[in-house]
Amino acid sequence: MTAAEPGFPGTAPGSGQPTRGKVRDMPENHEIGARLGQAVILPEILAAGFDAFEAIRMAARDHQDRVPTLFAAFMTTANAAVDGREALTIAPSLPPAGQARPGQVLPEETGAGEAADALAVLAAALGERLRQAAVLAEVPGDQAACQQGAAAARRICELMTRGERDAGLR
Amino acid sequence: MASATPVFGDFLGPADEHIAAAVSFRGDLSYDALRRVIRQLDRLLTTMARFLTDLPPPGDSQPCAGPERDTAARAAPAQLTLDRAARSLRPAAAGLTATQACTSHQVAGHLSAAADHLAAGRDLLQTHVAPGTGGIRIRKSYWAPVITSAPVTAALLGVLAGYTQTLALWAGKQSRSHPAAQRTPTAPQLALRAAEPWLLLASAAIQAAQPARHPGLAARKLLEAIPVNAPPPRPPSATGEPVSRLCEHIPLTAERVRHATLTFADDARWSPAATSASWRCHALAAAITGHGSELILRALAERASQLSPDTDLPARLAAAADDMTCAWQSWRAIAGHWDILTTGTSPHAGMTPVAVEIADLALRTGRLAYRNPHWAPSHHQASPIRDPADLAGTPGGIIAVLTAVHHATDAITRVAVTDHQAVVVAVADNRLCVPTRLLPENYDIPAPYARAPRSHTDALLSGYDAAITATARAAIALDRLAALVSAPSSVLGAIPRPSVPAREDQRHLPEQRPAPQPSGVMHMPGRAEQQLRKLRIRDPALLLRAALIDQAAHDLVAEATTRARGRDHLMAQIPRSAPGIRRTIRPAQLASQDTSARPQPDGQVNHDAGTVQPSLPATPHQSSTAAKACSSRRW
Repeated sequence: MTAAEPGFPGTAPGSGQPTRGKVRDMPENHEIGARLGQAVILPEILAAGFDAFEAIRMAARDHQDRVPTLFAAFMTTANAAVDGREALTIAPSLPPAGQARPGQVLPEETGAGEAADALAVLAAALGERLRQAAVLAEVPGDQAACQQGAAAARRICELMTRGERDAGLR
Repeated sequence: MASATPVFGDFLGPADEHIAAAVSFRGDLSYDALRRVIRQLDRLLTTMARFLTDLPPPGDSQPCAGPERDTAARAAPAQLTLDRAARSLRPAAAGLTATQACTSHQVAGHLSAAADHLAAGRDLLQTHVAPGTGGIRIRKSYWAPVITSAPVTAALLGVLAGYTQTLALWAGKQSRSHPAAQRTPTAPQLALRAAEPWLLLASAAIQAAQPARHPGLAARKLLEAIPVNAPPPRPPSATGEPVSRLCEHIPLTAERVRHATLTFADDARWSPAATSASWRCHALAAAITGHGSELILRALAERASQLSPDTDLPARLAAAADDMTCAWQSWRAIAGHWDILTTGTSPHAGMTPVAVEIADLALRTGRLAYRNPHWAPSHHQASPIRDPADLAGTPGGIIAVLTAVHHATDAITRVAVTDHQAVVVAVADNRLCVPTRLLPENYDIPAPYARAPRSHTDALLSGYDAAITATARAAIALDRLAALVSAPSSVLGAIPRPSVPAREDQRHLPEQRPAPQPSGVMHMPGRAEQQLRKLRIRDPALLLRAALIDQAAHDLVAEATTRARGRDHLMAQIPRSAPGIRRTIRPAQLASQDTSARPQPDGQVNHDAGTVQPSLPATPHQSSTAAKACSSRRW
C-alpha cells in the first residue's frame, strides 16, 4: 500500500483536500438514485430499495480488491447490502420483478475511496427513504422489512463514510 | 494454549512437587502421624488407580488407531496391584476422617495436596469425554483424540509409574525405620510393609502397559498442555489494545471460536440460527481474519529478515503468507456465493454463537495487522498496515505474534469443516434458494424465493472444499513454523484437525435425500455462463441468470431427447407391414403414454417395452409384444 495508490481514501477526488467524518455529495447521478428519489408509493420504494441494495453489493464486490486497506470495509458493506436486500425480499408489498434492474451504480474506473463515498451517499438516501416508508407502511411485514432495510442502509453508510483519520494515512 | 485456560500441567506440576516434598521428609513419624500419612497415601493411590480406569477400553466407539486400544487391557494388572496396595494400607488408617488426616503432619499434608491436584487433573481430562450408552465414551473436544493417543497415554502412564515407584521406595523405608523408643514395628508400619511389594509390582505393571516405550519430552509437554474443555472468558472488547495484549487475547478468542464451533456443530441440523446469514457472516469474518493474517505474516517476514537474516525463517514466513492468501481468497469466494444463495429470511432466527466469536477474531486480527488501534472494517477506521518493527520489536515478539496468527488460522480451519458439513445438509434438505427477483423476467414464480440451481449449490460446496484445503494448508505451514521457533502454539499441530468426509458419504446421512448426480463432479458451466466468464463477468447475479438459461436449455434438450426416444422406440415396435397404424399414432399421444408399465390384456405389466433398443430390428417375439401393445393401445 502506497500513498500514490489510486483510490486510496484521504482526499476528495479532484480537490486534493481531505474530507472529514461526513458523507460527501454524490459524485454523479445514477439511475438507481433517481429511481429512489422518484418512488412515491410503497411498492415502488421497496422495488427501488431492493435494486439499490443489489447495486451497492455489486459495487462493493467490484471494489473490494482494489485497495488492501479497504478490503474489510467493502467486504462488510457487501454483506450488509445482502442483509438489506434479504429484509426487503419478504416485504408483502414488494412487486414482482419488472424491467428495471439495478444496473451499474459506479463507472468502472472509479477509485476505491471515491466508490466508498458514492456508496455512503446512496446508502444514506436509501436509509432515509426506507425510514419514511416504514412510517407509511400499514402491513406489519412491510413495516418490519422497511425498518430492517433502513438499519442495513445506515450500517452501509457508517461503513463507507470516510473518517478523521484519512488525512493521516498518506 | 492460552495462559488463562487451566491446563493439565497446572495440576501435574504441583502434584510432582508435593510427592517429592513428602518423600524427602527426613524426621521420624509418630504412630498417629503415620496413620494420617497412610490415610492420605490411600487417597493418592486410589486417585492414581482411577486414571488407569479412564484409559479407553478396546470397545470404545471412537477408538484411536494404533496400540493405545490395548492399553486399558494391559493396564488391568496395574489397576489390580494399586488396589491391593491401597487395601493393605486401609485398616491402619481406619476411623480417621480426611480432615483429621491432612492437618496434623506436613507429610500427610503434602500427600493430601498431591491427591487433590491429581484428582483435579483427572477431572480436567474428563471434561473432554462424556458417558454414552452402554459404557461408551463420546469425545467432546478436539483434544479428546490427543488424550487417548499413544504418546500422551504413554506419558501419563510414565508419570504414574514414576510416582508409584517413588512411593514404594518411601513406604519400604518408613516401614523399617523405628523411632528411638520403639523397637517393634507398629501397625501402620506393618501396613506400609505389606503395601510396598504391591506398589513395586504396580510400578512395573504400569510401565508394561505403556503403549510407547519412550514417550519423550514432547509427549510430556503435550500432556501438560491439555486444557480444560471449557471456553475461556470472553476478553473485554476494549479498543486501543497494544500488540502484547492483542497477542494474549487472540488465542483466547480463537479458543472461544473453536468451542462455539464444536458446540454448535451438534445443533446445526435443527437450530434456527443455522442459516445462510450466519454462514455468510462466518465466511466474511474468516476472509477478513485471513486477509489480516497475510499482512501480519508478510510484516513478520520482513522483520525476521532484519532480526534473523541468516535463518530460513523469513522465507518460511513469506511462504506461509502465500498460503494464507489462498486461504482468505477462498473464503472471499464463499462470501460471494452467499450473496445470491440464501436459506430465506427469518426474523427470529438469530445468529450462531460462532458468528459472535469469529467477528471478535476478525476485529482483533485486523487491529494487529493495521496501525490504527481502533481499527474496524470500515472506511472511517481504515489505516495503513502496521510497521514490522512496531509489530515485533524482538525475536520474542515474532513468536508472540506468530502464536496469535497460528491460533486464529487453526480456529478458522475448524469453522470451515463444520460449516461445510452444515451446508451439505442444507443442500441435501433443499433449504437453499435464490431470490426470485434476481431471476430472469420470464421466471414467473409467485414467491420471494425459488429453489437454488444445482450448479450454484455445487459451486458453493466446491468453494467450501477449496477453503478447507487452503486454510488447512496455511495452518500446517504455521504448525511447522511454530515448531521451528518453539512457539507455545506448537501443540496445535498435534491436535488432529477434522477432515472432510467424502461428499458421497455425506449425502447418505439419515433423513437426507440422495443427490441426483454423483457429487464429486465439478460444476461445468454451460454455454451462456462460459460466455459471461470469457467476458470476465464475476457478478453472481448475472452468472446465476446465465446458469438458469443454461439449465433451461439443458432441460429442454433432455425433455426433447426423452420424447424423441419414446417416439422412436414405439415406432420400432410397430411392424413395418402396418403403415396404417404408424400413421394413426401422433407424437403428442406417444409423449403422454407411459410405455414402460402398461397393463396387458392378461393383467400382466409390460416391462419389455422399456428395454427394446429402437435401433435394432424387431425380433419375432418383440414384434408380437409390440403388436399386443398396439392392440391394447387401440382399446
